Amino acid sequence: MSSLAQHTTGASRLFWTAGIVLGASLPHWTRLPIWITVLLIACVSWRFAIRLLRWPAPGKWILRLMTLTAFAGVWLQFNTINGLVPGTGLLVVMVALKFLESGNQRDHMILTVIAYFLVFASLLDGGSMFGAAYLIAFAWITTLGLIQVGRQGTLLPGRVSGRLAGKLILQSLPFMLVLFVVFPRMSGPLWSSPFNGGSALTGLSSQMSPGDITDLGLSDEIAFRVDFASEAPEPSDFYWRGPVLSDFDGRTWSWRQTRPRGDNSQQPEFIGQRSDYTITVDVESRGWLFALDMPQNWSPAESRRRIWMTEDYQLYVPADPPPGLTVRYSVTSYSDYRAREQLRPDQLERFTALELAERNPRTRALIERLQADAPDPLTLVERILNYFVAEEFYYTFAPPALGEHTADEFLFDTREGFCGHFASAFAIMMRMAGIPARVVTGYLGAEYNPWGDYYIVRQANAHAWTEIWIEEYGWIRFDPVATVAPDRVLLGSNRSARLPVESFTQRLGNSGFLRQLSLGWDALHKYWTDWVIGYSPALQRDLLEKLGLEQISRQALLLITILTTGLLMLALTFYLSLSMRRWHTSTDAASKSFGQFVRKLERCAVEPQKQGETPSAYAARAATAIPDSRDRIIAITKAYLAARYEPDRGGQALDGLIELVRNFNPRYVRASR
Amino acid sequence: MLSVHSERLQNWAADWARRRQGDDGHAVTLKRRRVYILPTRYGITYAAVLIAMLLGSLNYGANLGYAMTFLLAGLGIVLMHHCHNNLLGITVRIGSAEPVFAGEDARFRLFLLNDAPVPRLDIQTECGDAADGPVDIPAGSSAAIGLHVPTSRRGWTELERFSIATRYPGGLFRAWTWIHMEARCLVYPVPAPPGRPFPPGAADFGTHASAALAEDDFVGLRDAAASDPPRRIAWKAYARSDQLLVKEFAGGAEKPCLFRYEDLPGLDTEARLSQLTRWCIDAAESGRSFGIELPDQKIPLGQGDRHLHRCLRALALFTLPQ
Repeated sequence: MSSLAQHTTGASRLFWTAGIVLGASLPHWTRLPIWITVLLIACVSWRFAIRLLRWPAPGKWILRLMTLTAFAGVWLQFNTINGLVPGTGLLVVMVALKFLESGNQRDHMILTVIAYFLVFASLLDGGSMFGAAYLIAFAWITTLGLIQVGRQGTLLPGRVSGRLAGKLILQSLPFMLVLFVVFPRMSGPLWSSPFNGGSALTGLSSQMSPGDITDLGLSDEIAFRVDFASEAPEPSDFYWRGPVLSDFDGRTWSWRQTRPRGDNSQQPEFIGQRSDYTITVDVESRGWLFALDMPQNWSPAESRRRIWMTEDYQLYVPADPPPGLTVRYSVTSYSDYRAREQLRPDQLERFTALELAERNPRTRALIERLQADAPDPLTLVERILNYFVAEEFYYTFAPPALGEHTADEFLFDTREGFCGHFASAFAIMMRMAGIPARVVTGYLGAEYNPWGDYYIVRQANAHAWTEIWIEEYGWIRFDPVATVAPDRVLLGSNRSARLPVESFTQRLGNSGFLRQLSLGWDALHKYWTDWVIGYSPALQRDLLEKLGLEQISRQALLLITILTTGLLMLALTFYLSLSMRRWHTSTDAASKSFGQFVRKLERCAVEPQKQGETPSAYAARAATAIPDSRDRIIAITKAYLAARYEPDRGGQALDGLIELVRNFNPRYVRASR
Repeated sequence: MLSVHSERLQNWAADWARRRQGDDGHAVTLKRRRVYILPTRYGITYAAVLIAMLLGSLNYGANLGYAMTFLLAGLGIVLMHHCHNNLLGITVRIGSAEPVFAGEDARFRLFLLNDAPVPRLDIQTECGDAADGPVDIPAGSSAAIGLHVPTSRRGWTELERFSIATRYPGGLFRAWTWIHMEARCLVYPVPAPPGRPFPPGAADFGTHASAALAEDDFVGLRDAAASDPPRRIAWKAYARSDQLLVKEFAGGAEKPCLFRYEDLPGLDTEARLSQLTRWCIDAAESGRSFGIELPDQKIPLGQGDRHLHRCLRALALFTLPQ
């Protein structure tokens, strides 16, 4: 190789490595402290200036000083090198300095291999489909760079190396798929590293003040998705139980963290329809989970997660879940139950507490009137519900604001409100009657997605209802909204109305194309979340059981992994040897035609092709022997090489070759002196 | 220490391969079972990074991390297959090697024929520590590559064993094959350092006094004939006149010398052969006729390249098998 070629190869190699390094670290730039990014760009620029503008290279001592300073900088910034961001920061600093002093092929190879790791590191705490697209794209680009950097001769044209890198990645995909599915998974972290912060996601609120118009998450945003293993329950049973608001200060209902239910606490008696289903939810900071009222059994898909139930029958993941954590869990619920439990004195007090007893005098008067003949609690409930039906109550998303006596104003003046108003007023009335009551929030209804055979629960499904405690029955659910007739609904401004109960469950009968499109996209997203992001040891076990491999040990799984990888390698070997030979068979015609050409020349005393002689060498020999036909001999040989070795031109060149050979009639000239 | 062990291991493996695949004659097509492959140090680095990725994925429970790890594991396997495939089916033919002087590298020529529809890139030859190439062989074409073999003693240097290797694509693996071909290169004795004058006895064959003055007595120019050695053409005159002329000297060109083995008493055999080699070269350079006389062989006076090589060959093979 001439020194000029060496020079240009070195420069292009530098160019390739710079592209790979910058590209691979790009996703980290927003997360890393700005000085690390600046250092990287400065080092890359300096290296190019050394190469192209003949700037001085940093001396050995300057480099050591820079390394020491940069490492100290990382340490001062994070106080640790453990964890994703500090570790990545350190890696990027090392890459920057390595690039600055990079000279030979060895440095570039090492940098390329580290670039793969940088791409990997940017995928550790994410999981979107775009992340996967990025993975594939950057694996391709880095592989392209690896081919160029690992090349010993002059660099390949971009098109050739790009196609080769694409081919290599495509051939790696089957290995990735098989390994992803069968490689034995383990649960539990090897070492703990701090998760790096983010913002809390919004969900249901921990407080509810019906007097103020709150936006109880009425967006189309998806709360969670549900797969039913059994038949889905009746639409009227789609009550997704969430946080229980039991502390009332006269205006606001608040949630409080109650202790987990002990193992020896009394189980409710489950009656009604049983349903089995799996929920996938992105939990927010309080770790709230949801289940159909009332869950009997629950288990997380990932065995290392724990799911607890509070005394209020609410499911949750303990210990500050990281933001954006996706939890998948299976639940068995029954549509009806008898939660007979004795309330402790402190609970009894809490569930009947009404701060500021002088508030809501008209409501208190109403309760006293309804309670005049001292009915049993259920009769009282019936009377109150009848009151809701008899009077003109309206369901609306844009209710008027309420003053000091929220229940009074709602019950006697405005008579317009959403679920919170009804639940709150009902619970206040119950407590006034001395019956323990609380507000339960959660979701009502779900939307069926036929594209993926699952249900979507959106923030717009948010709902609130009431539970009262009666000694012989335990906790009983009452939803006063369900009592308001569906035709009494006022449409709020700009919001699509959600009718009570049945109307919360959409069955997609009247949906348009865009709706279908968005459901299709959501189904894709859900498959992605369930099968790629949520692929866990438990899911792996399930999948293998479906494939007929039950109760398989980790060692056996490892053996299966090795075997399947071996089979894929065999297939690849076969495919590659086929691709080496493929054009031979398909270009038999070309060889045959060339054979005719050789025989025609043989008649003119040109010795046939010798073993190991290339067509070009043969043509040169023939052209010397018959100078008159020189041009045509060369044209035929070119056509033959094109037909046989250039895949793109196979058919076209073959036709040309056959035509040329047919018309080729070399004149025999006796060698004369 | 380590390198001694690794060299021993390599020799052992190569011997094993030779027993397994036999000797190769003059041409051989590389079949699957004789192409070996191992990771390079970059391949080992790559594997270490993969293990780090696997641990990271496990620790963070990140499935996309697993996906990337497995994609790259697959990529490693695919690169291994492509690297191995890069040698398969190449036909290697050995060419001749021009004689060299002892101590120089013998330079064999190899012809690599690629009959497949895909190009073969970065193909190297390796023999001992010396490497040649890399060359690229286009699809359905051939390429020539050198093969440097160090020599130490005069006589025939047999081409013992060499390998054809490639690291393409990616440089993570090195695929190679050991080849044992029948080829040899004639090695002339090392020429002794210049300075020793031609032996006086040599002058007996000449008509004039001293060979050392051979080119000092320039007498003029004459028209060039086809048989004149190029070094005697008067290039400056040619540039001036566009006419090929030859310098004529009063002394030497026609003054023949006979170099005799016995003329060098007090030296051992190899030193004598070296000195004779030096004289032959010098005599040929100055364009005079010369001959050699060895105890078992005599080459009469002659001139020109062929004659020189005949003499050197006799010196190279003196007392050695032909």
